[in-house]
Amino acid sequence: MTTTQPLTRRSGPRRGTLRIGTRVAVPFHVSAVVVGLATLVLLGVAAAATLTMGRLGIELADIPSVLLGEATGKDAFVFDRLRGPRLAVAIATGAAFGLSGALFQSVTRNPLGSPDVIGLGAGAGAGAATVALFLPDVVPASVGALLGALLAMGLVYVSTGTGFRSPGRLVVAGIGVAAMATAVTQYVVYAVERDKASSLAAYVNGSLAARSWDDATVIWIVLLGCLPLAALLARPLTIGEMGDDLSTGLGANPGRTKTAAVLLSIALSAGAVSVAGPIAFISLTAPQIAKRLTRSTGPQLAVSTLLGALLLVAADLAAQQLPLFDDLPVGIYTMAVGGAYLGYLLVREWRRQPA
Amino acid sequence: MTTASAARQGPGAQRRGPAGLSLALIGCLLLLAVALFASVMYGSKPTAASDVLDVLTGGGDSYVRTVVESRYPRTAIGVLAGVCLAVAGTLMQGVTRNPLAEPGLLGINAGASASIVAATAYLGATGQRETMWWALPGALLAGVAVHVIGTAGGRTNPVRLVLAGAVLSAVLAAFIQAVTLSRPKVFDTYRYWVVGALGGRGWEVFWSVLPFAGTGLAVALLLGPSLNAMAMGDDKATSLGISPARVKGAGLLAATLLSASATAAVGPIAFVGLAVPHLVRALVGADFRLQLLFSALAGPSLLLLADVIGRVVLRPQELMVGVVTACVGAPALLLAVRRMRGA
Repeated sequence: MTTTQPLTRRSGPRRGTLRIGTRVAVPFHVSAVVVGLATLVLLGVAAAATLTMGRLGIELADIPSVLLGEATGKDAFVFDRLRGPRLAVAIATGAAFGLSGALFQSVTRNPLGSPDVIGLGAGAGAGAATVALFLPDVVPASVGALLGALLAMGLVYVSTGTGFRSPGRLVVAGIGVAAMATAVTQYVVYAVERDKASSLAAYVNGSLAARSWDDATVIWIVLLGCLPLAALLARPLTIGEMGDDLSTGLGANPGRTKTAAVLLSIALSAGAVSVAGPIAFISLTAPQIAKRLTRSTGPQLAVSTLLGALLLVAADLAAQQLPLFDDLPVGIYTMAVGGAYLGYLLVREWRRQPA
Repeated sequence: MTTASAARQGPGAQRRGPAGLSLALIGCLLLLAVALFASVMYGSKPTAASDVLDVLTGGGDSYVRTVVESRYPRTAIGVLAGVCLAVAGTLMQGVTRNPLAEPGLLGINAGASASIVAATAYLGATGQRETMWWALPGALLAGVAVHVIGTAGGRTNPVRLVLAGAVLSAVLAAFIQAVTLSRPKVFDTYRYWVVGALGGRGWEVFWSVLPFAGTGLAVALLLGPSLNAMAMGDDKATSLGISPARVKGAGLLAATLLSASATAAVGPIAFVGLAVPHLVRALVGADFRLQLLFSALAGPSLLLLADVIGRVVLRPQELMVGVVTACVGAPALLLAVRRMRGA
């Protein structure tokens, strides 16, 4: 492993290149690797806490045997039925949201960019609600959410007239689609009886309660399928952030890269909302935190993915263990904390640059 | 008069001559008359147009009279809410120079909702009349909070205000969901209110909101000339003896009062405040005095017609007007997106 100097001597992040033999050379940012490893460690801590805390917690010392499937009795039940699948879903869903947001923000150059902003979450909620009203017990809510999310994205795609290429139009079209979807959800919540309305309202906030290993399998397949594609896009996206003209000059095809990145971002988010419902703000904040921690340009796909997982696991830990409210959906915690964090980011930036 | 907003609106926003304006005015008045008539005519109990005319001219049999008169408060509240929402939207779009500004985007609906939920959950407010009052302080507080957040660093611009509104709405939404999901009774009140509906409200709702709406409306109409001057830019306005900061402050305050009144009366209703100003600008051009006047005519027409559609499509059930405006307004917005330039 040798360290190469950047071409221009501006104060930026240190870069390194991992060389395997003479043929393979993987460039990386030193700070990104440090942040990534630290996130991974914290994710491990949060995951262990999720399994050990609370009334039904598994002893820390017993975790290895539980993971190997050697445990019996209470521990096996807690791991297999309650917390194991929930944790597995939380990790993969958070990672999918984080990666999705990083891809989307890289394309739109908009700190508020995430598939949520263009109506994906609202569409998923409306899909789940519509299914619950018209086809209860026939079509599961997750399928409804997936269909709703895809339908919302199709509407946005058609109504912009330029596909997913122009960020400004995306956001405005997203506002329209989200408004329609929210109205549908509210109508259904109004029309069904109270118990059902209440569980529906919990679902449309995004919840990880009572997930099964099947859910975990779905989202892990989506995540693992999308990761290599995202890795292929990392370099064109980094070039694309320099601007359309420059990247065309460098031989890239910015329009195609943007479309591919947005499609991948939507696939990840759609997979995530189909298992967990539209959980707010993970895809928006994870890339922002990644950029700030690594202090570098470029989309920071890997770090955002890990941070997304960490954020969601931590939020779900709070949802399970905080004594404030009983059993609230995790989406409410992410909405409160994510909203406040976004406000802090914006105010800090505005103080620095008066309008 | 070429102004920033006129340039943005393209060729549709030329100034009209007096004849064209009179024609537009007559058209709007006719539309309003049709909307008012339809609003007292249609409902879960069908009534013939001739019967309704009889009742309106003082005749008709007593049963039909009861049916038709039961639709009066609903219609009056629809007119009031329509005026409030449309004028508030025109003010906001004029003051922030943001074509997307509307009460919902600046956190006002979220503030009103959070306040109503808090009052129901912690202060024991029950029923329409008690909870309604809580929409006003919540909306005002949220309006002020968005302004304070948006002006961090001393100065502001429209995008910052909308972002601040989004942030505040998110945090308040989390609070609302947390409270409603853990208290089924509050949830029940909330889910009926949040859809946005004109029905099931009596005259007392109309009368108790009227003073606030009237104050907001008066301020709005007084601001017309100043807004015209400000459309030429803050510097020009200052040289004409107008304080831009004061006009903006008064405009936002009036808009908050108006949208809070509407939200208190009928719940959060989307798209009327967003769409009407755009339609009106295309009709009468950039003069804010005309825009405000025509908004006050077109807003109630649209809201009442949307309400009539909601009463007819699922008869004898009803689709709430908030659902109708979203399902009509959103596609209109989507069609408009295609014409956006430079984005």
